[in-house]
Order: sequence, then structure tokens, then C-alpha cells
Amino acid sequence: MSHFTRRHFLTQQAFGLGGLAVAWLMRNDAVTASPPKPELERQTFDLKPRSPRHAPQATAMISMFMQGGPSHIDLCDPKPELTKRHLQSYSGDIKYDNAAEASAKLFGSPWKFTRYGQCGMDLSELLPHLGQVADEICLIRSMHTGVNNHGQSINALNTGRSTAGRPALGSWLTYGLGTESQNLPAFVVLSDPGGLPVLGVENWQNGWLPSLYQGTVVRPHEPRILNLDPPEQLRGAAQGRFLSYLDQINREHLARHPREHDLAARIQSYELAARMQSAAKEALDVTRESEAVHKLYGLDDPVTRDYGTRCLIARRLVERGVRFVQIFTGNQTWDHHGGIETALPDVCRKTDKPAAALVQDLKQTGLLETTLVHWGGEMGRLPVVQNEKNIGRDHNTYGFSTWLAGGGVKRGCVWGETDELGHKAVKDVVNHYDYHATLLYLFGLDPQTLAFQRPTGRATLLDGQPGQIVSGILERPPPAAT
Amino acid sequence: MRNSLRGLLPALIVAAFAGFTRGDEPGVGSRFETDVRPLLKAHCFQCHGEEEELKGGFDARLARSLVKGGDSGPAVVVGDHAQSLVYERVAAGEMPPGKKKLSPRELDLLAKWIDGGALTVRPEPETLAAGDTFTEEERSHWSFQPIQRLPLPAVQQAETIRSPIDAWLLSRLESRGLSFGPPADRRTLIRRLSFDLVGLPPTPVAVDRFVADPAPDAYERVVDELLASPAYGERWARHWLDIAGYADSDGYTEHDAERKSAYRYRDYVIRAFNNDKPWDQFLVEQLAGDELLTPPYANLNPDEADRLIATGFLRMGPDGTAAPGVDQNAARNDVIAETVKIVSTSVLGLTVGCAQCHQHRYDPIAHADYYRMRALFEPAYDWKNWRAPNQRLVSLWSDETRRQADAVEKELTEVTQRRHAELDGIVAAAFERELAKLPVEIQPQAKAVRETPADKRTPEQQQLIKDYPFLNVDRGSVYLYLPDRLEPFNKTWDELTETIRKTRPADENVMCLTEIPGQVPATQLFSRGDFNQPRQEIGPGELAVLNSSGLTIVGDDPQVPTTGRRLAYARHLTSGRHPLTARVLVNRFWLHHFGRGLVATPADFGALGERPSHPELLDWLADDFTRGGWQLKRWQRMIVTSAAYRQSARRRDELEAVDPDNRLLGRMPVRRLEAETIRDSLLALGGRLTPTWYGPPVPVAPDDVGQIVVAIDTRDSAGRPTGKVVPLGADEFRRSLYVQVRRSQPLGVLEPFDAPLMTPNCELRTSSTVAPQSLLLMNGPFMAQQADALATRILREAGSEPAAQVERAWRLVFCRLPTDAELTGGVAFLNDQSAGVRGAIAKDPTAVAVDPSRAALANLCQALVSSNGFLYVD
Repeated sequence: MSHFTRRHFLTQQAFGLGGLAVAWLMRNDAVTASPPKPELERQTFDLKPRSPRHAPQATAMISMFMQGGPSHIDLCDPKPELTKRHLQSYSGDIKYDNAAEASAKLFGSPWKFTRYGQCGMDLSELLPHLGQVADEICLIRSMHTGVNNHGQSINALNTGRSTAGRPALGSWLTYGLGTESQNLPAFVVLSDPGGLPVLGVENWQNGWLPSLYQGTVVRPHEPRILNLDPPEQLRGAAQGRFLSYLDQINREHLARHPREHDLAARIQSYELAARMQSAAKEALDVTRESEAVHKLYGLDDPVTRDYGTRCLIARRLVERGVRFVQIFTGNQTWDHHGGIETALPDVCRKTDKPAAALVQDLKQTGLLETTLVHWGGEMGRLPVVQNEKNIGRDHNTYGFSTWLAGGGVKRGCVWGETDELGHKAVKDVVNHYDYHATLLYLFGLDPQTLAFQRPTGRATLLDGQPGQIVSGILERPPPAAT
Repeated sequence: MRNSLRGLLPALIVAAFAGFTRGDEPGVGSRFETDVRPLLKAHCFQCHGEEEELKGGFDARLARSLVKGGDSGPAVVVGDHAQSLVYERVAAGEMPPGKKKLSPRELDLLAKWIDGGALTVRPEPETLAAGDTFTEEERSHWSFQPIQRLPLPAVQQAETIRSPIDAWLLSRLESRGLSFGPPADRRTLIRRLSFDLVGLPPTPVAVDRFVADPAPDAYERVVDELLASPAYGERWARHWLDIAGYADSDGYTEHDAERKSAYRYRDYVIRAFNNDKPWDQFLVEQLAGDELLTPPYANLNPDEADRLIATGFLRMGPDGTAAPGVDQNAARNDVIAETVKIVSTSVLGLTVGCAQCHQHRYDPIAHADYYRMRALFEPAYDWKNWRAPNQRLVSLWSDETRRQADAVEKELTEVTQRRHAELDGIVAAAFERELAKLPVEIQPQAKAVRETPADKRTPEQQQLIKDYPFLNVDRGSVYLYLPDRLEPFNKTWDELTETIRKTRPADENVMCLTEIPGQVPATQLFSRGDFNQPRQEIGPGELAVLNSSGLTIVGDDPQVPTTGRRLAYARHLTSGRHPLTARVLVNRFWLHHFGRGLVATPADFGALGERPSHPELLDWLADDFTRGGWQLKRWQRMIVTSAAYRQSARRRDELEAVDPDNRLLGRMPVRRLEAETIRDSLLALGGRLTPTWYGPPVPVAPDDVGQIVVAIDTRDSAGRPTGKVVPLGADEFRRSLYVQVRRSQPLGVLEPFDAPLMTPNCELRTSSTVAPQSLLLMNGPFMAQQADALATRILREAGSEPAAQVERAWRLVFCRLPTDAELTGGVAFLNDQSAGVRGAIAKDPTAVAVDPSRAALANLCQALVSSNGFLYVD
């Protein structure tokens, strides 16, 4: 055993971690993170915690990705002018996704808006729970990607550009910062029982970053984490007996091959694997939480149970040192081309309470200070009606809303505006480059130096685009920023 | 990149310098050429000597000019380093600029040399040619010297020798008071041999036959049988495909387009190994097969086609020139650079790429040398008249087949025209329907707008369209208006198109490197490797230091229709007199047999590479290989029948004390199976391995969490899983060699076991031991499937009696019978596990009903194939 040390695992860990979504193994040897290094000289890759360039305000992120495009004008961006001009013809330029059902008729929101919190944030009656944490969140009403279909706009917000194949935000953050978790993946995705979002598995791809930085999926069904949960035939005690038998034959083999250190290392690697398996199982086990917490997230109600469970798991993961968790709603959950009057309240009932609970829970556990929470989809909806026979709203990536909380973001803040009808962002516009520059700033990373050397040159999340840090939404903006 | 030795560089640099220091006391025997020049070369020469402009008028390449100094005055005060400007500047960290400074050891060397009188080994030349001058010391590096065949050394234990290689190995062992270990037992031997030569475990029948065979040549006959097996070519082709950088996709960008015909090169390599194609011919074909033919490459017979296919070797590197958004000039030059890298690492065993930007820091490879080598490929690549990957394909179609294909294309065009005509009718109908929704009085206007091209519409007309956006129906959007009509319409026409398309002959393209006769671009040296800074023209040729034979390669050989540059070079490499080709090849073969090369850095035989552990043996092997007609099977037979190869792998105290790293080969190493061997062997054990050879790759695709599996991609156009499974049938279980190598999509069951990423190629695989491997073996769905298949086989072959099952499992997985203790342990596990499973089912009414004893057997199988006894070869 003399030649075998834990470092043996660690140094090798930089290699050979594949499409296998168990790539977080690289553990921290010391309690403190390694000192900052020039980013461009890295030749081996690992998940050791790395100090960012600047003191970070956020150290972890939970992104609730509302795939499909929640209707901002019905949820969090009230437009009295739209209500006034209800059913009048819209005269501005407009881009439709569905020509056949396209209409120029304006459609005022059928839902009432109320002021919430001390900040007096206007939110619709569809989001009563969010209202309860209005003083904790920062609502951005001026998001813009300008690419009008789902896949491209998801790519813009989740990978930096509308084109396919680039690394996901979670991959960039774990590439830049490693992970604080000992036995858990660095970047976790919680997928929905309603199916994968548009773009499927590409939403958590590492692109051209090493595959170590790919997101690990926690599935809504067993086995929850592929390769980390035992298969059906090895659940529970069966696997215990299996591992103990395997250990026995490995030790007999080692006895016949004395001083073969690699054989001993493999015996230990099974032990480590078993520890990781139990750590993951423990992290996903929400029954360990109190009844009060279950209630808070709505686990006692069939309507909110699924989404609430995933929000609670996200909190448990971040609490255990996971760097980035992304919770996706199911395929096109928010894509209300028709039937919006019943479908939108439905999905709000499922998600509003858990999302607000997450903020509240993080606040009361103190994690909100350093955990950046994101809620938003890849687009909003148009102020005009789609399909007069079954009212819906078509895509709008020119102006939509997103909210952030924690991790150094201003509380009870509303930022930016869309035009009087909610069509286009017109004031303090935040495009995906600005959004990413701001996130990286909160994590203490510099959008210019967090880079990866590719054959085609030096690549960054912002891809050389001029993203501006949105200082107005930050509690502690960068001194030089204007 | 991943498997390169980059991480070891600092250690190797120190080792290299240590080699130059001679004499008992440092400084006393200190000489410029041996002690100081190497460090100056690494740190200073680029600015102070190599480039056109001499920084500060200071040339550091000669002791004379170093002492003399530059614009700042004399740089060395002989005998007093503290007063010497050059020492002062480097010690203060002012020089060299940038992050990399001299190490304390290097500073010390410099100081000692100055203090010792700033001496040289020999008088220095009067003048230095630009960039091309190397010292005697650099030129005399071992691997640049001619291959020498020395007589076999005498050994004390001559009776243990079975093969000439044993004499070399044993004489070294004996010189350290050691000897070979005892021979391995026959079960161990056949398992070792089988994994080595065919990459699969031996069958129980083969094991029994060998164990019981009393013939004196029983072992040799197993060797011959395995060498004659087609699986041999599949196993050994994999090794060459690593260094060739074989992939079925372009790489370079995230688009990573598929290379549909790359597989022909893979198949060519397999055939070459199986047919024991002589390596001189094999190399000439790969480097210049096209130059053995006459363009245009039409109506080729299979042999001719093979020559063209062979040049796929030069097309294996990543090529992003067809991907959108790339900087074309950079991408094109990168293709050429990667090709040079693949050729130089595979055949020359040198890191020539370092000389792309400047003189090689450690080896005597000049900046111009790099461009001499590049010039070999320039006529074919011709970066200013680039051909994208698809334009480089050559079709194997005969004229007749081409005529058939053209006819089909014509028919398809006609069908498309008819389809569009009918579709336009539907669009018109949809428009009429939409028009009817408008107030009657504006319908005529709307119709007029429709008939006016978009850019000719009046403001009023534009407003009308804005008010009624649903009038914008066209071919692309009509499905949204009349879905019920479009569905049968599309179905009918799609089926018709597909029926016709099926009559088109399948493409038979070759991915190859060819030249366009008469098109001979100049190669220019790029200052600092930058194609925007071209300098003087450079002709094709061998690296100067390797060109003792005085080879000249003409720019355009009138004897052949192409330039003949690559052909001349390939013949030079395979002349039998080249110092590196044969050494590098046999070292690579040796590496695969013994787990480590005689030179442990198989792609770097230069100053930073490791020295050979057995230089005379390496030369003897290289010489024997070329004299034996470059035929690998004969050579391998000599290796695997040796006493060295047949030794036990057991560590012995006397060996451990003297040679713990086993450089002297006093035992065989214990080695983990490679990724592909693990997967292939699992399939073979379960009786599922599909024994078909050659052909297009088996596809890979992400599963519903993003792990890459062997499957047909059935995701929808938005990338979502459809849940649809298109069965691959037996193809799913073909050898890993036939599974698509998509550079951006490494197979989930192979990558954790160190399957290489081809960026551009893999010089040496690592063998890691990490927890993701354990998790995959414990929990991976692939493992469960294979364990189940193995259990099925054992039930069929051994029946339901636990002891018989355990015995059979042992024989299949470990090639031996279990000991009594192992038998008892195995049976106990089966009993415990089936009782446990039975109990769990009884307790949980929702549990899936399984046969407990069968489940237990599958678990036993999985434990065995997850254990070290299976994963390692001793």
C-alpha cells in the first residue's frame, strides 16, 4: 500500500471521466481552495475548489429554468395600457412564430396585479407566494435575447450564444470554480417527469470543455442518478452482499499478487464509489427533512409535491457543497400558444409555492447570502392574441422577465422596463451577455479571463461579446463599473 | 493532448540537463556546448540569435558572442559571474521576459561556467548560418545515429534462452545479479497471449486443449492460431488507429461533422494486419498511396482503391474547414499542422511540431526543418486553394454506377418539382380560406397585396398585411393552416421520394489525400508560425539532422504525375537505413506486448524523451524487423515465444530490491485491460459478441441523461428524446473497434477506462484507477445486461447446481478452475444472495418477480467481471 495514496486517485482523476455523469470525484485535499492561477495555462482539469479572481458574493447557484416562456405580461410585468387597448389592432412591427394563428389584436391580461412587500412590487394574482418573498428578490423586466425560437433562446441564456454545441453555464462555473462538495457532482440537473426540455440533454452539455464538467442528471424516476444508483437487481442489501463478495475475491486476488499497488487502489476505489453512492442517496432523501419544511415546499399537496421536492433537493445539494443546480420544468410547460387562461394558472399552482419556498428556506438557513437563485424562461409572450378561438400568446424574446435572489443581488428591486404594451424591453435592457457578465461577477470571475483554449482560439462564455455588468441590481457593484 | 506526457516535462527537463553535466566537480569541467548552451537555447536563443532581428544586438548562440555582449556592452566578465551582465540580468529575473525564468540549478550552471573560464569543448565556427546550426552534442543524440546490429551477448544461463531477445534481456539482468522469473503456468499464458494478440479471452475449450497438449510446440501452435485469427487484425489495428488519430468525425468545432467514409481506412488497417502486409509497403501506401496511381482516380480495382484509402492516414487529423464560423486560414493551417504532428509522432517519434514557431528548444530541429516537412504535404493540402473535406472524397463508382445515380437524381428533381406544384395549389387554397375571414370589401385589395412582391408593396399594402398577419401563408407555414391536408400530402410524397432514393446506388467514397496535377504551391517559412508572416520559400526534405544519406526531394518529380514528394519521403523512411522509422515502430510494438516501450516515451525519441532501457536490443530488434522484410507477424512470434514473455508476473524480493519499476523485465507486468478489450470481452463472455467484420461504424447517440451509448439517434428536431428505439440488432454487440468514434461524443462505457480522445491522435494511453470506473462496473446498465447474458450462458452450459455454476463462471471469466475455498465462497454467495432476494420479494409485494437463484447468479457474474482477476492480465 505504500505507493498508493489518495493523491493517486486524484491525479488520475483529471483523465478519463466521461459521458459518465459521475465526474465530480476530484476532491479537495486541503480545506482551503488553491490560489488563483492564470486560466489559460491549464493542461489538466479537475474539480478542486478554485479561488475566483475577486472575492465572490455568490458561491452556488440554483436556476429554476421555466422552459417554454412564461408570460411576463400576465405574471410580473403589468401593462395598464394593454388592458386599455384590449382587442384593438397593434400597429407596431411584430414577429410571429405561428403565422396561421397570428393576429394583430392586443390582449390585456385577464389577471389582477397587486403590490407586494415593502418594496411594493407589482405581481399578478397567479403568483401569490412569490409575493410573500418580494422583498427578497430582484425582478428584471427587461430581458432580451432577440432570437425567437425556443432552442436558440435557451442556448443564448444557458450557453452564451444562440448556436448549438457550446458549454452550459453550469459547466463554465464548475470549470472556473470546481466544487466544494466531497462526494457529490459539481453540476446537477433535476429533470421533470413531464419530459426533457427543448434541446434535451444538450442543456447540460460540457460542449468543448472537458467532459468532467458535464451536468449530472437526477432523474424523476429510479435509478435517480445513472451509475450512482444501483440497478433494480442490486438494490439495498443485495448490493451490500455483492460488494462484500467482490471485496472478498479482490482481496484473495491481491494476496496472490502481492505488492501490486494498482490492484489495491482498485479495491479502495470501490470503497470510495460506495461512499459516493450513499452520499448521493442521502442528499436526495427528502424524508430526512422536517414536516414544517415539507409543508413549506408543498410536499403535502399533490399539486406542488413534484416541483417542491425538486426545489428541496436543490437546497439539500447546495447545502452539501454542490456548485450549480438547474431545475428544468418539463417540455414546453410554459409555451402557452393556446388555452393560456387555464394552462397558465395550472403551471403557476404547481411552481409558485415551491419557488417562493426555496427563497424563504434559503433565507432562514442563511444560505441565501451566498446562493444565487434564478427563476426564468427563455422568452416571454406577445401582447397580441394568438388563436382567437383558444386564446394564447406567441413567442417574445424582445422583452421578458426573470427574477434573481440572493448571492449579492439587490432585494426588493425591480429593474428595467418593457414598452407600454410589454412587447420590447426599452429601459435598462439586459441581454444574455449582460446577464452572464453579471453572474460571473457575482461569482468573482472575470468574463475575459475565464477562458478555455480551443483550436479555434480562446473561448469564453461571452464569446467576445460586450456584456455589461448590471450594476443596478447588485448590492455591492464593482467600483469601476458604470 | 490528454494522453501526452506534458505533465512530466519539468521533471524531464531536469533529467536532460543532468545528462550534460560531467566531471567530478561542477564548474571545473564546465563547457559551453554541454553545460550552458542547452539552457540558453531553451530560454534565450529565440530573441538573441534565431530571429531576423537580434534583440539588443546580442547573440547568445556562441560563447564568443555571449562574452562579447551586445548594445549594453560585454555580457560576461570571464571568471567572475557576479560582475557579468548576463548573469545579473537573469538572476534578477529581468531576463528572459515572461513567466518562465531560469531555475536555480540553471543559474548555478551559468555561474560555474563563467567562473571556470567560459570554456568551450572545441573552437567555435567562424560564422553561424541563420537558425540551422547545431552542435556536435545535439547531433550525436542516440536516436539520430545509424541502427547498429551487435552480436548477441553471452549469458550465463544460456539454457533459459528461447529467443534472441532473451539474450539481451538476460545479460542485463545477470549484470545486476538477476535472472528471469519462472515461466507462467499455461492458463495464465494462454490468457495473456489471447488478450495480447486478439483482445479477447480464450474459450474454456481452447484453455483445456492447451493445458492438456503434450506436444513440445503446444505453445507455438497457440501463437500461430491466434496470429492467424481475423480477430488479431482487429486487435492490432486498434493500436495503430490510436497513433493515426482515427475518428469518424471532423472534430475541431462543436459541429464535429461525421466522416461517413473514414471507416474504409480503419478496414484497410485491419486487413493490413491480418494479411501481414510488410510495413515498408504499409507506410508507403499510407504516406503516398495516391502517388502510386495515376489521376483521375476512376474505375479503380480493389488494390488501387486500397492505395487511395491508405492515404486516409493523412486525413485523420481534425478538420474544421467545413464548419461554419471558423477562421478559414487558421483552420486550414491547423489541418496541415496536425497532419505533420501525426506523421512525426507515429513514424519519426519526434516532437517536430515545436519547430513550427521557432527552433526546437531541445532537439536539433530547425524552424526551417519544420517547413521542409510541411512542404511534403503542401501540394496535396494547398491551403490557398483549399478543398473542404467533402471535396477531397474520391468516388469508387464505376462510370456505369455514376450514370445510374445521375438518372435517379434527375428523377428526384422532377418529383420535387411536381410536389411543389401541388403544394402551391394547397397554399393558394389556404390563402383563399384566410381571405374569406376579411371584410368582403378589402378582400380584392388583400389579393392584390398577395400578388405584389414584398419589396414592391405600398405602405398601405404593408399595413394591410400587418393587420391580418395570418395572410402570410407560404410553402413553409401552410402546415399550420391545413394540417389535415398536409399530413397525407407529405406522407405520399415522402414515400415516393424515399422509394426513388432507395434505387440510387450507395455512395462509395474514399477519404484520401490527393494532389491536383500541375498545382504546386510554394511552402514558405512562417515567422513565429504565423501564416500572416510568410518568409522565404522552403523546399521539401527530411529534417537535416536525420538526413545523413543526403536525400534530396525535388519539388516536382517528372517521373510521376503528382509531385512525388511524399513518395520520395516514404521510400526514404522505409529504405532500411533511416535511424528512426524502424526503431520507433518496433518500440511501439514492444510497448503493446510488454506494457512499456524500451523507450518509455514512444512518440519522443528526442532529448526530452526517455533513453532506451536496452539500446542494443532496440537496435537489434529494428534491424531484425527490416531485414525480416518488415513483416510483423514473424517478428511478434519471436517476441511472444521468448522466455521473457512467458515469465510469471509475480514480484520477487531480489527483483524488487534492484529494479522495482521492472525496467529490466525480470518478470511480466500486471496490466489492466484496455477500454475496448473490457467491453469486447464482456460481450464475448455473454456469448453476444457479433463476429462481423468491417463496414460503416455502429452509431452512437446520447441517452436520456446525456451519456453516450451505442444507439441510433432518435431525438426530435428540438433535441428531445422521443422514447423511440430503433433496434440495431446484432450490430449493437460488435467489437468496439467498429463503434463510431465521434470526437465530441466519447462512448460512456469506454471513456472512463481511458479510451483516447483524438486531439489529434493518441501517442500513449494512460491506465487510470478511479471511482467512476467502479461506479460503472457496479451500477452501469451495460454491466447489468452483460452479467445477465453471462448468467444465461452459464445456466445453459452448467445447469442449476450452484457448484457447477461457480466452476463454469470461473473457467469462463478467469480461465481456470476455482480453488476449494473459492468454490465454497462462490456457492455461499449464491445461496445468501438468492435467500436475500427471495426474502426481499416476500416482504415487498410490489417487487418485480424474479427467479432468486438466477438473480443471484447474475450478481455473481457481475462481481467476477468487476473484479481484478478479470480486469487485469498477469
